[in-house]
Amino acid sequence: MSTSPLVSAIAKRLRAAGYSDVATPFRVASVSFDFTRVMRGRDGRAHDLVIVIDTATGEMGDTDSVQVRRRIETLSRALDVVGSRLVLTVVLAGASTANDIEALSETCRVLVVEPIGVGLDGVPKDKLARQQLDDRIRLLLPLEIPPRDEGLDVEPAADEALKTKLPNTIDKNFLQVLLNSSRHGEDAVEREMRRVFDDRMKIEDVS
Amino acid sequence: MTYGHLHSIDLENFRSIRGHVHAPLDAKVVLVHGENGAGKTSLLSAIELALTGQIDALRRADPNYEMQLLHKRKTNGYAEINVSLDHDLARYRADLTEQTISFEERLPVELTEFFVERAYLPQSLLGQLLQIYQEAGSDVDSPLARFVSNLLGLDRLDALEIGLSPLQDLRNVRRVINRWSIVENEISRLKTIIQDQFRTKEPIAEDLAAKRSNLVAIYAALEVEHDEKLPEEAAPTPDEIRIEDENRLAKVTDELRLLASIRRDISDSLDSDTHDIEVKLAEHVENTEEALRIWREAHEDIASDVRLRVEAIFPNVDFATDLVAFRNEAKRLLSAEQNQLNNRVQRARQEAKQLTDAREQLEVANAQLRTIDKEVSAIASNAGALSTIFAEISNFIVDDNCPVCGRDYAELEEGSLREHVHNRALALSSSAERLILLGRSRNDHKDSIDRLVQTIDGLESSQVHMEVLARMDRRAGAITLTLRLLEEVGPRLEDGQQLIEANVAAQRALANVRLRSSRRLAIRENLNDLARSAEISYEGQSDTIEALASRIELTLTKTRDHTSKRVRSWAEARGIIHDIRNSKERISVIDSTIAEYEFQLKDYESALQRGKNLRTEGRRIRNAVDEVRSAIIRREFNDRLNKLWRDLFLRLAPSEEFVPAFRIPQSETRRLQPKLYTPHRDLGDEGAGGTPGAMLSAGNLNTAALTLFVALHLSVSVQLPWLILDDPVQSMDDIHIAHFSSLLRTLSKEHARQVIIAVHDRQLFEYLRLELSPAFADDSLITLELTRSSIRDTQCISNRYSFQEETALRIA
Repeated sequence: MSTSPLVSAIAKRLRAAGYSDVATPFRVASVSFDFTRVMRGRDGRAHDLVIVIDTATGEMGDTDSVQVRRRIETLSRALDVVGSRLVLTVVLAGASTANDIEALSETCRVLVVEPIGVGLDGVPKDKLARQQLDDRIRLLLPLEIPPRDEGLDVEPAADEALKTKLPNTIDKNFLQVLLNSSRHGEDAVEREMRRVFDDRMKIEDVS
Repeated sequence: MTYGHLHSIDLENFRSIRGHVHAPLDAKVVLVHGENGAGKTSLLSAIELALTGQIDALRRADPNYEMQLLHKRKTNGYAEINVSLDHDLARYRADLTEQTISFEERLPVELTEFFVERAYLPQSLLGQLLQIYQEAGSDVDSPLARFVSNLLGLDRLDALEIGLSPLQDLRNVRRVINRWSIVENEISRLKTIIQDQFRTKEPIAEDLAAKRSNLVAIYAALEVEHDEKLPEEAAPTPDEIRIEDENRLAKVTDELRLLASIRRDISDSLDSDTHDIEVKLAEHVENTEEALRIWREAHEDIASDVRLRVEAIFPNVDFATDLVAFRNEAKRLLSAEQNQLNNRVQRARQEAKQLTDAREQLEVANAQLRTIDKEVSAIASNAGALSTIFAEISNFIVDDNCPVCGRDYAELEEGSLREHVHNRALALSSSAERLILLGRSRNDHKDSIDRLVQTIDGLESSQVHMEVLARMDRRAGAITLTLRLLEEVGPRLEDGQQLIEANVAAQRALANVRLRSSRRLAIRENLNDLARSAEISYEGQSDTIEALASRIELTLTKTRDHTSKRVRSWAEARGIIHDIRNSKERISVIDSTIAEYEFQLKDYESALQRGKNLRTEGRRIRNAVDEVRSAIIRREFNDRLNKLWRDLFLRLAPSEEFVPAFRIPQSETRRLQPKLYTPHRDLGDEGAGGTPGAMLSAGNLNTAALTLFVALHLSVSVQLPWLILDDPVQSMDDIHIAHFSSLLRTLSKEHARQVIIAVHDRQLFEYLRLELSPAFADDSLITLELTRSSIRDTQCISNRYSFQEETALRIA
């Protein structure tokens, strides 16, 4: 089990996001695989199989990109063979060459976490480090939609906003006609406006 | 109402899809695959058409796109989609023919907006997204501005603003809105007409006023009560008076007729001679009376004055009334009296004077006598002796020393003494002589005095008393005056006497003539009756019946003339009233014309007012557009959007150092001028780069565009839980595709969006099918594969994938 702080930090973050550790070594199609750290999502991410490679200090050939690629390709092929729907994501913890990443990308999704400020206990040292970590593996994290500002729970569309903005006494028919025509561009607005004017300014039948 | 998944779609002859196609959509993810032209876009745009009634992207390209929707050489088709809505299915359908397109139902407008802006990303929009980064401009017409405007519905606001902009300037309003000018012109035309009508009315009204004042004048002359303002309304009083006038005229006419018959009687009853004589006599009487009257007026006073004077002078004489006789008698008496008086007075005067003279002479004589006596007494009787003495003495005088007294005479300086003595002796001798002369004179005077005393005595005895003389004087004066008056009045008295005699003679003659005719009296009675009935005063018996008749005739004629004048005035008044009515009628016609035009004018003015109101509303809307747009821009382009966008972008491009972001507008933003920049992933704004176009690779630009769309979708509360993406990964590399599919899975499985995505790349399709395959029991995936060829209808093969327990991984 690697004790790399970076790997620990990734694992911690993923666990916090609902991932759980997969015991290694594991077997796929009777082939045994062993990695520094393997994690799997749940629910909607149940098909996510995350393999963390410690490119700096890792054992099991993690530091050798060729070996890493071969093992990943083997795993991928094994999963294909058994018709698995698992989707592989390789997180490269530590420095990697672009070539290596590109080569890996042909078989799986690759995320790279360059060395960042992480304490020995696997806790990011500061806010920036925490953000950097999140940014690198964001794809694996749940999408958090920032809370809306106070009072903006319902954001009316442009026309609704316009209706709200205008006083209640506004000529609603006219407004609606204009709003409808606004979809068709300014000429349509002008045309409709003209039509309403012409219609409205019609002289009432005297008889 | 909560919208769930899109449930299924049925298409027939829609765009590139030929024949009928049914596609189930009721899964969390729907993957659509097909070669280019197989109908992927047709299928997705059919969803939009059926739901919203339009295809926004096509409309932008071609406003008449609706005619292109039906598959070529087909006569009808449709697109029908079922949507789960509150545990039920809602059906939306568009029916197409060659000419028309009809809908049963559509999404509400606000959902349509949401769908178009945030749920459906057609390829054209993505193309636009990509274009954003090629142009760095940030002005209102930049692709980015256009895209964001489009997404946020700001383009609609822009359209509203520009479309309504003619309302700002009245000249543009006139140019753009035909009816505005028409109405304005019509208003000015109607005003001109109304003015003309008023001008036409003015002279008529003036004429009416003139006629009314005429009528008022006539009524005033007729002394009829009337309304000064509406004299024509004065009935019925004038009518009564008018009828009275007409009756009077008839009566007078009758009376004149009667008079004419009486006159015939008169001329019948008398021969003309007698008649003439009577006329002449009457006339003569009248003349003489008149002359006499004139004479009396002129001379009566003076005549009677003379008579009174004469009678006063001769109170005992009875004078004749005959004026001439009176004059002659008076003259004679007065003359005689005057002579006598004159003689007496003259003599009395003479005697008085003689007496006075005598008395004076006597006085003088007495005085002289007294003087002589005095002188005589003064002259001494010894004068002769003394003179002798002096003669002797003188011989003794040798010088101036007096021989008697011794005094020197020279001291007196009066000559010599001798001469003095001599002179004295001479003087004494002359006094003696004088005495003799005095005696003689005294005798003469004594005689004269005696004679005078005798004369005075005689005169005093015959002297007349002064009172008597004065009385005689007065009487003589009165007589003289009377005589003179009489002399003056004489001819007039003669005239007067003549006139009196002529009058008397004339009256006598007239009476004689009148006596001759009794019938004429009867006629006169008739005339008198007529006069009474005609209320003519008929004093003066001297009138002949002819004169009376004439007088009656004169009066009647006068009455008739007067009355007929009134009747004519009435007729004139009636004419004027008629004219007034005509004028009033014309005025009322004009007034009603004016009213009619004014009514029309009011219509037009109210139309213009409506237009103005509408213009106000339009301008208000336009102003609100500004505010709303500003609010939307501020609302949308905030840190939250940037944060979301950053999250999404980094998911797809985790190794990109620069992330795209909007600069947050600091001030009020009228028009959208979005600025993109690229803050550094780790350092934020401190290490910010330039625009994304300059900083990002083509693939990352695509990513930026795609994630912006998704960020915008997520940044608002979900109204339609659908993300429909039309081949969004055309220029993505493998890395991005892998990440993108992960993102789709996140959206689908963590955020409950139904993801419908069309791809043309087979490999990608397979990859997505794997990546998006159901991960838990409730998860689902449908793949749709569209194929078509020129000889057969479009085919859609659907596959539903359900959850399978993953067993590949085994703990070793």
